Amino acid sequence: MSTDTAAGLARNSALVSTRELSKQYRPAGWFSRNSFAIDALVDVNFEIPRGSVTALIGESGSGKSTLARCLAMLEEPDQGEIYFDGQKITGATARDMALLRPRVQMVFQDSAGALNPRFSAAEIIAEPLRIQKWETGEKLRERACELMKEVGLSPDWADRRPLEFSGGQRQRLGIARAIALRPAFLILDESLSGLDLSTQAQILNLLLDLQAAHSLTYLVISHDIGLVGEVADFIAVMYQGKIVEHGSAERVLNNPREVYTRQLLNSVRVVETAFRAAHAGAGR
Amino acid sequence: MRKARKVIFAMVLLAFLHLAIFFAGFVAPYDPASQNRDFPFAPPSRIHFVGARGHLHLRPFVYAWVAVPDGINQYAESREREYPVRFLVTGSRYLIAGFIPCRTHLLGTDEPTQMFIAGTDGYGRDQFSRILYGGQISVAAGLLATAISLALGLVVGCISGFYGKWIDASAMRFAELFLVLPWLYVLLAVRSFLPLHISPTQAFFLLVAVIGTIGWARPARLIRGVVLSARDRRYVIASRGFGASNFYLLRTHILPHTYEILLTQAALLVPQYVIAEVTLSFFGVGLSEPVPSWGNLLANLQQYSVLVSYWWMFAPAVALVLISLGYLTVANAIHESLQSGSI
Amino acid sequence: MKYLARRFVHGFLLLIGVSLLCFVFSDLAPGGFFDEMKLNPQVSAETIAGIRAQYGIDQPFPVRYLRWVQSVVRGEWGYSFAYNSPVRNLLGTRARNTLILATVATALAWLISVPLGVWLASRAGKWGDRACLAGTSLLTSVPEIVLVLALLGFAVRTHWLPVGGMSSVGSGTVLREKAVDLLLHLVIPTTVLVLASLPILVRHVRSSVIEALKAPFIQAARAHGISQARLLFHYALPAAAKPLISLFGLSVAGLLSGGLLVEVVTGWPGLGPLLLESSMSKDIYVVVGIVMFSTLFMIFGNLLADLLLFVADPRVRAE
Repeated sequence: MSTDTAAGLARNSALVSTRELSKQYRPAGWFSRNSFAIDALVDVNFEIPRGSVTALIGESGSGKSTLARCLAMLEEPDQGEIYFDGQKITGATARDMALLRPRVQMVFQDSAGALNPRFSAAEIIAEPLRIQKWETGEKLRERACELMKEVGLSPDWADRRPLEFSGGQRQRLGIARAIALRPAFLILDESLSGLDLSTQAQILNLLLDLQAAHSLTYLVISHDIGLVGEVADFIAVMYQGKIVEHGSAERVLNNPREVYTRQLLNSVRVVETAFRAAHAGAGR
Repeated sequence: MRKARKVIFAMVLLAFLHLAIFFAGFVAPYDPASQNRDFPFAPPSRIHFVGARGHLHLRPFVYAWVAVPDGINQYAESREREYPVRFLVTGSRYLIAGFIPCRTHLLGTDEPTQMFIAGTDGYGRDQFSRILYGGQISVAAGLLATAISLALGLVVGCISGFYGKWIDASAMRFAELFLVLPWLYVLLAVRSFLPLHISPTQAFFLLVAVIGTIGWARPARLIRGVVLSARDRRYVIASRGFGASNFYLLRTHILPHTYEILLTQAALLVPQYVIAEVTLSFFGVGLSEPVPSWGNLLANLQQYSVLVSYWWMFAPAVALVLISLGYLTVANAIHESLQSGSI
Repeated sequence: MKYLARRFVHGFLLLIGVSLLCFVFSDLAPGGFFDEMKLNPQVSAETIAGIRAQYGIDQPFPVRYLRWVQSVVRGEWGYSFAYNSPVRNLLGTRARNTLILATVATALAWLISVPLGVWLASRAGKWGDRACLAGTSLLTSVPEIVLVLALLGFAVRTHWLPVGGMSSVGSGTVLREKAVDLLLHLVIPTTVLVLASLPILVRHVRSSVIEALKAPFIQAARAHGISQARLLFHYALPAAAKPLISLFGLSVAGLLSGGLLVEVVTGWPGLGPLLLESSMSKDIYVVVGIVMFSTLFMIFGNLLADLLLFVADPRVRAE
């Protein structure tokens, strides 16, 4: 594994860090004949600098989502530690974890599945506030409308169901919900996949605006290298549960040190070249 | 749409039957326990509109039964006097919903004659009244037992589906035991094994408890399936990320998914359980005399003489069939509308 | 093969589970046979003591259970205090009678339902189909108890059929006469059982065949000019077989237990009346024996369905 040296990755400027994080999935059942286990995460040492946009890339099954869920406290790792702002998350008491939750939030990919179709937009956005008991009654709705405006949605649509929104608007809903608790750290798990390019661009701009407005730190998980190249400050490459390369975006993209990284970048370029060639040919 | 009309008709029928049964005191002309030793096994009173002298009456009337001398339980109409059928009659005292006293009855006729809409039994008790009061027992048993089965099934299904792993595995294995047992067999065996000579109230609740408890497995399995798939939805995971407790997740996000199943199962189980009560009472291990239940009313038919000569004793069967028909039609409609994805 | 072996083990474990459940329940329920038996002057104290010793009545639960299992293995299936004999002897005749009734009724029900269901599927939506569907709906709403009472009433009034029981006194010793007598007695219980199961079977056959008829290969066959009858029975029906096989397994599963009500009301000397009687007199080993035996059939029926499915559907075999 290659990483840049301490210059720029000083421990006290890291918002989130993990040490030797490991997790395995074992198939359940009393009579499972094969007692094999899938290594989802293997000895992951990882840091996310404060205020940065860090990207996590890799193919399907590389462990990106598992890592994301562990960082979001949605799953427990089997071994290793996670630190958030100096505080240890793994093995923390339930009470400490509950206090930490508002500071780490996640925006999911499948917006239709991530929003309860029976709830209205206002109810969805206000749900974190309701659960954390930060507001009640009419105040909830007010806050929801404020958040809707912040992400570029009209508050007139507060009573509509998620399925009445377009894909891009649903992502805005998901983002509004995620920032409701004023988190410091936002994990975007494939949040821009499945959207058309212009919508992607809009959402991206929104995210960057929000980052500036609220001093957010982002972890962007994506398999879209082109997108990552545009926004990320730092890039980490995952392969089979391990982080194989980690460094500044510019360095990783232009000067990859690992063979796998090079293969990954090349494959994208191959596709892009073929794509452009096909379209160039058609246009003639 | 023809189907919609059929369902609406069924629901109206059910509503009508349930109301009649709930207000049995009002709809029934007489007290179910009052005996008329002079009129054992009297046939249903015939309604007439045309008088002895041939003129038409607007208000229907009946004749009094008079026992035929030298006959066993044979009666002839006495044309001496016409007894008009009256509405909103003052009669014997009863309690609405168990605590409001009242004396008004829907139908009746002038004293001392009684109008036997469905005939009488061996003790001269009005069968129509007994069927209505019996309905209170049988239908209430069905409804309560259904509530128990669904409640148990909901709790077990939710816990099993939500927490998964060994809780789920052991609960479902346990459910499988219950599902593999032949239902009526077990019901009969269980009830017969328990004490038989207990008070009617105790017998009723014991019956309801037995029927309801044995039937927990199928609802539990269905609900568990729904909970299992709902649990992994992204919005549930997201709510967890907001710090939601398990209870909140179950109540707010997962429970709404179970409503469909609960509704369908309810429509299917109620008639099944009513029939279960009727069957058990018929065999003598449910409610017994003098408390009327459709089961022990039908049990009269086990006597050869009754089966041969007194056809009106089949009347409780009509009520039973109507209830079954109503609920099953509604159950079918729910099932079909769920399959086509619309309500 | 491994698949079947697993199902077999599974069924066996279920049986054990059910037997345990029965024993646990009988423990919880208050009262026991011996309280009643002590009142019976015909049974001597030594006999009671002997039985108590042999079956470990006063022993803790595991001992009792073990003794019973030993008894099953020996072939006795426990002891009936009421009848003063091993349960097996009681079960033998009764089970045979129940099976006679159940097999005839089930066979008849299937023989009627399959052609009827196929015919209805071929005429789906037309008035014949709708009329039959309405009829079956109505039939499902009529509970078995009403059916059996109605038929008995009918029999009693018309004197065409014997009312209840399995054989009449003085039916003669000639085989032919006895057979006729048996058949006459079978009519009422069989009719009730057939009428009770007909609606479900017909509906299932009908819907399975309708589904099968939608397949493209049916259209192709029709285009080849194959006759409707052959189309229905040689092409559609086998394709519709899979859910029907499961249903058949269920039919077999319910052979012993489905006729409970009918047997008791018509006085057919099968397992049903015996169950009722033993439950009421707390003759526990008989009750456990009957429940176990019927459960055995249930499990066997499910296994049979699995086996048939295995044989019929190559996709299952590939697993």
